[in-house]
Amino acid sequence: MTDLGRRIARRLSDATFERVAAVGAENAAVNRPRIERSLLELAEERLGTGKAAVVIGAGPSLYRRRSLERLAAADFTGAIVAVDSALGACLRQGIVPHVVVTVDPHHERIVRWFGDPAMMVAPADDYFRRQEMDPHQAEDEIAANRALVELVDRYGREIRVAIATSAAPAVVDRCEAAGMRLYWWNPMYDDYDKPGSLSRRLWEANGLPCLNGGGNVGTAAWVLTHAALGKRRIGLVGIDLGYAPGTPYEKTQYFPELVELLGARHREAFIHTENPVTREMWFSDPAYHWFREVFLEMAREADCQTFNCTEGGLLFGEGVITSTLDAFLETAGLEAGKDHHG
Amino acid sequence: MTEFLKGNYELKVEIEEKKEDAEASAIDEFERKALSKLGGSICFVSKKGFLWTGDKNDGSRTTDRTPAE
Repeated sequence: MTDLGRRIARRLSDATFERVAAVGAENAAVNRPRIERSLLELAEERLGTGKAAVVIGAGPSLYRRRSLERLAAADFTGAIVAVDSALGACLRQGIVPHVVVTVDPHHERIVRWFGDPAMMVAPADDYFRRQEMDPHQAEDEIAANRALVELVDRYGREIRVAIATSAAPAVVDRCEAAGMRLYWWNPMYDDYDKPGSLSRRLWEANGLPCLNGGGNVGTAAWVLTHAALGKRRIGLVGIDLGYAPGTPYEKTQYFPELVELLGARHREAFIHTENPVTREMWFSDPAYHWFREVFLEMAREADCQTFNCTEGGLLFGEGVITSTLDAFLETAGLEAGKDHHG
Repeated sequence: MTEFLKGNYELKVEIEEKKEDAEASAIDEFERKALSKLGGSICFVSKKGFLWTGDKNDGSRTTDRTPAE
């Protein structure tokens, strides 16, 4: 095996700026008249009891470990923060997150995580049929979308969305139509102390805080939960930062892009790593490998305890405590009671 | 300084970009575009705090990681 994947991963910080900065800034300008509340106002609201929170990503462990089913049964009273792609899975399980986080500026795809009322035929883009984030979408896209539209319409008024100014206007339309309350923030694109910084220009234009997002919405949700909401004990589910054993490469999120970049050598870009607890061999592509490296760098600096309750995946290392979900929920419940009663 | 560095003469030969340089440049451009599709949905800014709420009135930088309480 070569280290091709790791070498590509080292270039993804700049590549991400290339991917999202221009379209994110463009969306921020379009969204500007619709900004009413800042993320900082969300921090003033009561989101669950105590200082514990669960952050829900949409990785394969969510289904493999029945994490949501177990969370729903546990009577957890802390804050529940979900990424946009996990919203459907949460609602189907009867979990209404306190906060949903959305950031990706893609103009067509992201609205689907909220149910797209305008979608009448399955799109040519096979993104939702191909990847693992919501298996329901792979079965019958039209029916899955219709069901999600109904669920989001039913629960929208109970949900706050921590929405980045980079979000596509279609996502803003959909969230507002469903009655969701929007709390805005800027993605931190670059060093705001450097001349010409885009982050600084956005802050000067709209006055919103800039959040260092760590490459993906799952990490951004974790950052938001401790750095903006002030939660101190955070359990992660569905944040695997990798693909489960046996996943065909063709089903991975960046497969077409890797083939385009590397041709016949695309298989060399996947990185296989054993999970030290489950002893399963998971794997990542360069993007997920970069996300993992960034998360661990941030976790070492974070003013919170981070519990990886995914019971799988590739997120382990200094700053991340491995725990079963049940153990975390039990401890968090005791701590919540202590916080609540003084 | 820049006025001193301006060329004040005409070259008698036309300088062409080497074929290898042009190819390398094309490959770089392809890689840059292809890599951008592999990037994430949000940037990561190394050595900066988690949340920047702007410059404070006293001019100091708010790079702290102190969350709202």
